Amino acid sequence: MTGNLPFVVVGLLFAIGMALILFDKNLIKIAIGVSMVEAATNLFLIVLGYRTGGSIPVYTLAGEVKRMVLPTPQALTLTAIVIGVATTALMLSLIMLLYRYYGTLDVREIRRLRG
Amino acid sequence: MMLGTVQSGFGYWNVYAWIIFFALAAALVFYFRSAGRSDYKAGTYQDEIFYGGNPVPKDGDEIAVPASSAYWGFTEALSPFYKLLLSLHTGIASDYVGYLVVTTALISALIVL
Amino acid sequence: MNWQIHLPALLIAVPLLGAFAAPAFANRRLRDVWFTVMIAATTVIAFLLWRRVGAEGIVVYVMGGENWHLTLPSGMRLPIRIIMEVDAFSAFMALSGSIVSFAGAIFSLRFLDRTTGGEKFVALYFLLTAGMLGMETTGDLFNFFVFLEIASVASYGLIAFWRNTPEAIEASFKYMLLSTIAALMVLIGVGILYGRYGALNMAAIAKSMQLGLPEKVALALFVAALAMKCGAVPLHMWVPDAYSQAPAGISCFLVSVSQASLYGLFRISFSVYGRALDTPAVAWIIIVFGILSMFIAVVMAVIQKEVKRLMAYHAVSQTGYMLLGVGVGLLALAHPQAMSEYGFTAMQGGIFHIINHAMYKGLLFLTAGSIFYASGTLDLNRLGGLARNMPYTTVMFVVSAAAIAGLPPVNGFVSKLLVYESSFAVHPILTVMALVTSILTLASFVKVFQSAFLGPARARFSEVREVPRSMLVGMTVLLVAILWLSFMPTWSLSRLVGPAAQALVDQAGYIEAVMGSGL
Repeated sequence: MTGNLPFVVVGLLFAIGMALILFDKNLIKIAIGVSMVEAATNLFLIVLGYRTGGSIPVYTLAGEVKRMVLPTPQALTLTAIVIGVATTALMLSLIMLLYRYYGTLDVREIRRLRG
Repeated sequence: MMLGTVQSGFGYWNVYAWIIFFALAAALVFYFRSAGRSDYKAGTYQDEIFYGGNPVPKDGDEIAVPASSAYWGFTEALSPFYKLLLSLHTGIASDYVGYLVVTTALISALIVL
Repeated sequence: MNWQIHLPALLIAVPLLGAFAAPAFANRRLRDVWFTVMIAATTVIAFLLWRRVGAEGIVVYVMGGENWHLTLPSGMRLPIRIIMEVDAFSAFMALSGSIVSFAGAIFSLRFLDRTTGGEKFVALYFLLTAGMLGMETTGDLFNFFVFLEIASVASYGLIAFWRNTPEAIEASFKYMLLSTIAALMVLIGVGILYGRYGALNMAAIAKSMQLGLPEKVALALFVAALAMKCGAVPLHMWVPDAYSQAPAGISCFLVSVSQASLYGLFRISFSVYGRALDTPAVAWIIIVFGILSMFIAVVMAVIQKEVKRLMAYHAVSQTGYMLLGVGVGLLALAHPQAMSEYGFTAMQGGIFHIINHAMYKGLLFLTAGSIFYASGTLDLNRLGGLARNMPYTTVMFVVSAAAIAGLPPVNGFVSKLLVYESSFAVHPILTVMALVTSILTLASFVKVFQSAFLGPARARFSEVREVPRSMLVGMTVLLVAILWLSFMPTWSLSRLVGPAAQALVDQAGYIEAVMGSGL
């Protein structure tokens, strides 16, 4: 059962992040929720490529080993983290501007565009 | 295949036939227009706008119907439906995420089952 | 060696170069020249690529390999490098998108004179172009996600470009929140497929596709996320906000960018899953998305009071026709007889509508931008009588409004006709909804035309003049495209749309181009 533990963590992180986005009213907390969903996704990718007892997937550093963890998911995760940093930074700056214009961080009050 | 003819499997449609039709209609329109009277006296009351006997307002705003009054009957007849639609477009970002999550769940259920 | 081999790579590299060099051009004149030249070069490359694909079939390009066509080096079973795979549908989308991006760029030149930070606008515009073209030409699922994010991040910035208006920031934030979650859903789907097949290449996954529970979950994630990105009802709420707040040149281009997500939806459901789909559920989901988008969005559009917001609702509504047409095609995919009777016609209609919509909706957004540039407002209650001051814009508006409402003989009619006559074979109610939508579309554009352009002259608009020449040039590009598509329907269907629909149906050919053998 312990083999599936990381996937349980992925599910939990995802659920907590989604719950924050859906039910919290504070924009900063929503941004934290988005980051948590991102972290869950990244963890999911890393766990996919993990092989029990595997070493780092670099030939010159791995030494005499038979098993390596898969390198592709790590490359994917690295890219996804970079993209995540960009979106988080942009999202926080937008929240900053929203606070300046609307004077609130309550998501229910930022609704001039509707209908 | 004829030039400009689109076969739809159940019928066909030709763009050039339509263009010829429009050209004919335009020719008729211009003919009727040229048949109108041109012997009115310019600069007299004959070429003024008739506004129910009142002086025509300077600004067009005063004699124009605002756009929000357009299709009043249509929107009034469908007002319960519109009320429902407008209540869905709340403008709250987390509601929109909620729709996304619910739709994803629905799609997953439909595809998996 | 023929340099045209490298066209797929150039298609991405040229706009990326444009993006990263743009901040260096602080001089206004130089910046304009750079913007025009690079975007024109991108369009030319897209055209050459389209011609090459038309002549030689699917073009494959291996990034970073010893050889550009070696997809499976030294007897590997799965492709390991990043592969771009351009078939007729990709080339068609890239051509349509790059024409719109060219028109939007030319239009934006004079818009930028009114603001500072124009070089950043140019950089983001090129990034958006690169993201869109990348999504449309890549053969790799993860790459698709990366380009999706590049396009998304660039569009957040561009939607919030007028950052001193609170509404623009609000629209950008809402789009960003939804879009980030949707992109993560795509990434999870990619991860699931990687976990099952150990590959990221679409053709490689398609070759070994066995429909099980994980694949179905991944497909559900893809469908939901990409339907949100292309703005299908009930996930369309960001569209009117974002399109109405972005600068007009961007709204025009965003239509094509969201069509790249539509491309992804069709590519995944046809080329990656395709014949492995044993239930009609996905096809019906796409059709229902189409019907809902068509009807609900157009009903919402009728009551709008702001020109660009109204047009944005129509963008959602027109996307419904594409979803309906291609959804009917997907429904008929497993039955060759149904495919030849009505399915292929439906797909032709849906795909023809993609390019038609990109052109006329682009032009409509540009006319809205002209109205705003000239009169300073987009409120239909305040506008009026502009046909006197802006004759050219009025002509452009009339042509594109006739096209979107599907009035013969303009191009929107042909694609709608194909969708009507083929969806009828599935169920008449689909056709009825499509016809009602078309009527309401006409009604709402009559409203815009009557309130903005006709009526007595308003005193406050007596100083309004026609927009500058470069903006008219940008609009003329799209006008010419509309007229070309209208007056050459047989050419468009046989050379432009037919091969694209054929490429989408031909899953075995898509796989063979990379894997060396079909299904």
